Amino acid sequence: MSLFTMILKMSEGLGRTCAIFFLTILFALPLGMVVALLRMSKRKVVSAVTRFIISVLRGTPLMLQLLAVTYGPYYLFGFSVSRNKLVPVIIAFAINYAAYFAEIYRGGIESISKGQYEACEVLGYTKAQTFFKVILPQVVKRIMPSVTNEVVTLVKDTSMAFTVSYQEMFTIGKQIANSQTSFMPFIVAGVFYFVFNAIVDFVMGWFEKKLNYYH
Amino acid sequence: MKKFLTLILVAAMTLSLVACGSKKESKKFTMGIDPEYPPFSYMGDDGSYTGFDVEICKAVCEKLGYEFNVFEVNWDEKLVQLDANECDCVWAGMTILDSMKEAGYTLSAPYYSNTQVLLVKEDSGIASSADVAGKDVAVMLGTSGDELLNTDLKDLADTFNNVITCDSFLKCFTELGGGAVDAVFVDYPVAASYAKENAGYKIIDENYGAEEYGIAFRAADKELCAEIEKAVAELVADGTYAKIAEKYPDIIDNLVFLR
Repeated sequence: MSLFTMILKMSEGLGRTCAIFFLTILFALPLGMVVALLRMSKRKVVSAVTRFIISVLRGTPLMLQLLAVTYGPYYLFGFSVSRNKLVPVIIAFAINYAAYFAEIYRGGIESISKGQYEACEVLGYTKAQTFFKVILPQVVKRIMPSVTNEVVTLVKDTSMAFTVSYQEMFTIGKQIANSQTSFMPFIVAGVFYFVFNAIVDFVMGWFEKKLNYYH
Repeated sequence: MKKFLTLILVAAMTLSLVACGSKKESKKFTMGIDPEYPPFSYMGDDGSYTGFDVEICKAVCEKLGYEFNVFEVNWDEKLVQLDANECDCVWAGMTILDSMKEAGYTLSAPYYSNTQVLLVKEDSGIASSADVAGKDVAVMLGTSGDELLNTDLKDLADTFNNVITCDSFLKCFTELGGGAVDAVFVDYPVAASYAKENAGYKIIDENYGAEEYGIAFRAADKELCAEIEKAVAELVADGTYAKIAEKYPDIIDNLVFLR
């Protein structure tokens, strides 16, 4: 197999890799905010339960979570396994990444001084107004570097979809490596991921600059 | 001193001659083996040849009262050496080829068979590989099944809707159980043991990538072949065969006589 066919074959899986990436971002970013707010809830029970869930999601490998989401319902309740593996893959990825994003959001929100909330109260802002107009814009700027970190990790984590036989780019690379007894597909995969992340880096850098309007 | 030694040597030689003469004439049976093909035939830790085929042949010779001998064939020329009477059979994990049949060699019934099969759900209505056309099939990455679907059985693979590669047999079977695929393409022994332990599955065996081992004899030795086959059948019947096979767990599931 020539290098060209190899790259062509692996590019077919690249679409699936991108699907995991973008859909995870799409669902995990807002879900993370919900989890963060629950985590900071004044109700002790809600906060404790959320904290426990986050610790489970962060404390177990994503690979196991993928297996649990894909095959768990079948083993536990006899539900059928999804033919379209993208569904369980996205569910597992979104939940896992939401847990990480939630903690990043919490760090950002808690870094805002109490004085700002008091000032908003004096100015007659409602709670929602305070959060969306004053707090959130500052939080977003502060957490950008940490979010970029997670997003870059996500690009590489997409390769884990192989555990549930989702035919993304790395899975195809592995198959080629196996049939050709060649290491080349792994090098190709490495280049793919690096280029992907270089783009992510650039885009996130651009965002950060855009948000830097007070400096 | 010298004289004494000579005397002893002469005595020893005479005795051994006498011993030769008095021994009952037993037929020699020379087994042609490939000494580098474990676990069928190889050199054991003690330096003598052993292996599944060797042990079975020894037991056969014992049963028939033959004197057991081993001849190490040159694998490329094994059949020439067989014709040259250097051995009485080639019995060493040898794949039966059509060319051997065409050349007229007497071949035993296969005793070892490694085939790929399709494992499907009993209620799936799939009865032959033709029914799998347009369906999803799982295969474990890097197994001979995976390789076959990419090479010799490419035509078959092309009739499938999708071939899904999993990284373990368990995942292949879970995909099947959970209804995400319609069949699993897998080695016979693996499929057989899974179907035995889990109800509701059946095996479709159409001899995909069949690899069958048998014993080759000279064209004229049809009687000898029948005699050996009969002796092996007796060993199977009295349990000796299974007992020997137990020592070779890697191949036991592929042994035709134990199925």
